[in-house]
Amino acid sequence: MTSIDVREADGGVVLAPTGRLTVVTAPQLRNAVAERIAAGDRIIVVDLSSTEFVDSSGLGALVSCLKSARQAGGDLRIVAPTEQVSMVLRMTNLDRILQPRASVADALQS
Amino acid sequence: MSEHAHRVVEVPATIESIDVVQAEFDAWWNELDDAKLETRFAFEIAVVEIATNIVEHTHRVEGSAGRRFQLTLSADDEAVTAVFSDNGMPADIDLSTVTMADVDDESGRGLALAITALDSLDYGRENGRNIWTLVCRR
Repeated sequence: MTSIDVREADGGVVLAPTGRLTVVTAPQLRNAVAERIAAGDRIIVVDLSSTEFVDSSGLGALVSCLKSARQAGGDLRIVAPTEQVSMVLRMTNLDRILQPRASVADALQS
Repeated sequence: MSEHAHRVVEVPATIESIDVVQAEFDAWWNELDDAKLETRFAFEIAVVEIATNIVEHTHRVEGSAGRRFQLTLSADDEAVTAVFSDNGMPADIDLSTVTMADVDDESGRGLALAITALDSLDYGRENGRNIWTLVCRR
């Protein structure tokens, strides 16, 4: 099952979904990001290193969260997508707007 | 041509069933000899997208009226095949018109992803049931 680890960091917040990010679990990510934006965070880092599978619903949640972060004057950055996630980002052309950063530290800074 | 692993799954047409489908897919895939990871990625995303499409179509058209769907996973030397069968209302879909959503869109990628990932995707009605057939060459 998917759980989302939320960690406050210098410069933003890091969310790490573990397991599958699908229609079953995508609402959890949307809710977690909405809560952090409401709490004042502006740089949202999604660490995908433990996300073993993403589907179109998970991608939709990432796009929605990216828009919410930008509307609040911030940004959403992804880090370390696994092989399956990278493939699906490429297939949907979303690698153009969700370009992976090299590390969590890099995503928090740039 | 020899037949390899074969698995039949029958579940309620609910969101929670997608997890069951993926767990069964995982067990089935692990019984296949010599299967490539890239084939798994392509086939699994297509299976999950079609399962989700069936669940969402059922809820949109009929509400949660106790519908179920069946998934049969099979493999031979050349290809892996998934057949979905459900007794819901016909899906009004023309697969030849499906295109990938724009990058800013929050939905509308499921069928396009399945079509891109597979070697063939077919939808039809047989004996009052919706039948989706997904094929990926190994």
